[in-house]
Amino acid sequence: MNLSKLRPGEKGTITAIGSIGPLKRRLMDMGILVGVEVKVLKVAPLGDPIEVTVKSYNLSLRKKEAEGISVEVAA
Amino acid sequence: MSTQPNFAPDREQESIESRRSNLRPVEKRAITVAVAGNPNSGKSTLINAIAGTRLQVGNWAGVTVEKKEAIFEYGGCRIRLVDLPGTYSLSPYTQEEIIARDYLVHERPDLVINVVDATNLERNLYLTVQIMELGIPVVMALNIYDEAQAKGYRIDVPGIEKMLGITVVPTSATKKDGLDELLKKVLDTTANPTGQKPAQLGYGLDVETAIRLVSETLTVNQPALIERYPLRWLALKLIEADAHVIEETKIGTIAVLDEALHHLRNAHGEDIEALMADTRYSLASGLTREVLKKPELRKTDLTEKIDRVVLNRFLGIPIFLTAMWIMFKLTFDVSKPFADWVAAMISGPLTHWATALANLIHAPDWTVSLLTDGVIAGTGNVLGFVPMIFAMMFFITFLEGSGYMARAAFVMDRAMHAIGLHGKSFIPMLLGFGCNVPAIYATRTMENPRDKALTGLLIPLMSCGARLPVYIVFIGAFFPNHGGSVLWSLYVMGIGLAIFMGFIFKRTLFRGEAPMFIMELPPYRMPSFRSLMIHTWEKGKHFLVKAGTYILAVSIMVWFLLNLPWGVEHKKDSYLGKIGQVSAPVLAPLGFGTWEASSSLIAGLIAKEIVVGTMGEIYVKKDAEKKPETPTFGDDLKEAGTSLVKAGKESFSNVFSTLGVSSLSADENAEKAAERNPLRAELKKHFTPLTAYAFIVFVLLYMPCVIAAVAMVQEFRTWKWYGVAFAYQMVLAWGMACLVFQGGMLLGLGG
Repeated sequence: MNLSKLRPGEKGTITAIGSIGPLKRRLMDMGILVGVEVKVLKVAPLGDPIEVTVKSYNLSLRKKEAEGISVEVAA
Repeated sequence: MSTQPNFAPDREQESIESRRSNLRPVEKRAITVAVAGNPNSGKSTLINAIAGTRLQVGNWAGVTVEKKEAIFEYGGCRIRLVDLPGTYSLSPYTQEEIIARDYLVHERPDLVINVVDATNLERNLYLTVQIMELGIPVVMALNIYDEAQAKGYRIDVPGIEKMLGITVVPTSATKKDGLDELLKKVLDTTANPTGQKPAQLGYGLDVETAIRLVSETLTVNQPALIERYPLRWLALKLIEADAHVIEETKIGTIAVLDEALHHLRNAHGEDIEALMADTRYSLASGLTREVLKKPELRKTDLTEKIDRVVLNRFLGIPIFLTAMWIMFKLTFDVSKPFADWVAAMISGPLTHWATALANLIHAPDWTVSLLTDGVIAGTGNVLGFVPMIFAMMFFITFLEGSGYMARAAFVMDRAMHAIGLHGKSFIPMLLGFGCNVPAIYATRTMENPRDKALTGLLIPLMSCGARLPVYIVFIGAFFPNHGGSVLWSLYVMGIGLAIFMGFIFKRTLFRGEAPMFIMELPPYRMPSFRSLMIHTWEKGKHFLVKAGTYILAVSIMVWFLLNLPWGVEHKKDSYLGKIGQVSAPVLAPLGFGTWEASSSLIAGLIAKEIVVGTMGEIYVKKDAEKKPETPTFGDDLKEAGTSLVKAGKESFSNVFSTLGVSSLSADENAEKAAERNPLRAELKKHFTPLTAYAFIVFVLLYMPCVIAAVAMVQEFRTWKWYGVAFAYQMVLAWGMACLVFQGGMLLGLGG
């Protein structure tokens, strides 16, 4: 499961970050780290990008960028 | 990233600095303080509140990132405040981060004020941890403290101080709370020679072992590097394999480093960079857990409530478009009466008083013409843009400061990304319909240089207000019954070609991975009015000084072209007419290969609306010149006063009027066009409906005006993008006009 597949309201714990290079570093700098909980808040009106809550702030990213983030959906 | 390291200090700034320091009394203490923090942490507001109008705004050497600096006295000490770009980290991947860290590492300020958003402690502390690695004394401004308290957050300030070994001052920059205390602590910290360094945070046994190994080797083998870099920081960067530092130090391979990395990889996996990010975030999380108590019951906050509506699946786009429409109207309609007033004052009283004065001292005719038609008209040209730039900067800064800019980007990104742009490109493109100049300046809201440049290249295809008078004249003459559809077709053609060129550029000049979108959606906040005004003022001033000089120079140049050799009877014999004659054959395949048409187009370099004025001068035989009555000086002053009041009223009422007085509305221009009836009749003799349409298509697309050119060069700090814009637009204009004319002929529309 990756982050781009989560629906608004769904939560998950990050298990791996598949992206590489600057994208990965940027994600990590923004608090997207293995073991961290993310919750999808919204999908933009045109279907992309998405808004998530991480480390108690709101972050937006394109679905393409979210695809590399593997999550384990909380039951 | 192609960004170069940036230790070359801004030369201009530096020389002013050294001159100032020569004047400085020797006994006075002088310190340099860098201000670092996350975007949206209220850093700008804090700096504006401290330094106010003493701020000098410029650019960091060689890049388009804004640099703010202020020098002021406080408590008997001369403080030089340097604002670093807002960053989330000190990684080597974005311009902003490279600038911030190069400054901290190479310029070694005496102290860093770290502005931290108290409502978002953990992510802000991640940057704090990285700043502390540099070993420079740090004072933390725990900003937005009032909001954190209102949310019921309890923050253990002495706890942070104890754990990080730095001084922490709660501040609320918008209310100016705690700023005095902050500056006092800055002075105390720099005055205190002992114990001013921040604590060295433990990065865990394995990392610390690696740091020790690498540090020891560096100390022995690379004494020169140790001089230039903080040791612990350098060791950390080498362990992280920071490409920027490795290149800068030319360090090559170090056996000890490989060994240290080998151990780390065995214990923690391949990705050391991830390990380091994890380690730093753990420190930030741990600290946050210790010092922050949030209330048990979380209320739905204002931001959440607003976003439910503003980012709503169905309402999001209509709300966004409404907001944009209001902003567009405000920008252009509020500023227009003032711009008109400036223009009227300059072409009226100022011009005839200058003429009178020149005649008084018996200046030769040509100098009078140079003064009035060249210098004064050019000045008017510059000043006319100022109200618009002010209004645009005000609204853009408001949108950014309030947090809505990020939402606008979020809502529009899908559509803009399709043609290789960023969600934030939409607003500059939209402003382009009013005027390309503020639109190009508005690209500064975009972080990534690639997004900025591509947006800047496409903006000139948005049909600006200055092109409208040209359309109106031709529509009046040739398509009186289909005005609406012809006008509409031009706007749509511009947008269509922008989409087309976006695709082309994405596959040619801007090949490769699109810049990322990852962006914080900050809480909504009311920006401080003072901060807004300071920012707006700075931008307006900047435009006046920098762009003004160029524009004035070009205006004078065009005067020479139009009027020399002095005393030419007919425009055909002026230099402009001669250039027109030479270039006319190029336009022949487009159906308007006459010197009159091509000279008018060349004069349009100043501003596209000038095409109409020049055509009037060329085509229409002048009647005996009417001598206007020269009013007295007193009349002029009175007139200036009353018309300014009128402009103010008009601007104010434009805010409340709806559709009526939009700067895009054709009615008022249609009236002006009616006055140009003689030109209309002349045009009918020289153009057919087909060539007329080809001509206005050409006017829509050909080269950006000189003021837009100056804006591009100034904003992108290189001539490259203006060159590209000029070239592609000329080709596009020629191609499209040719298509219209030749296609039309084939279809038998030539008559």
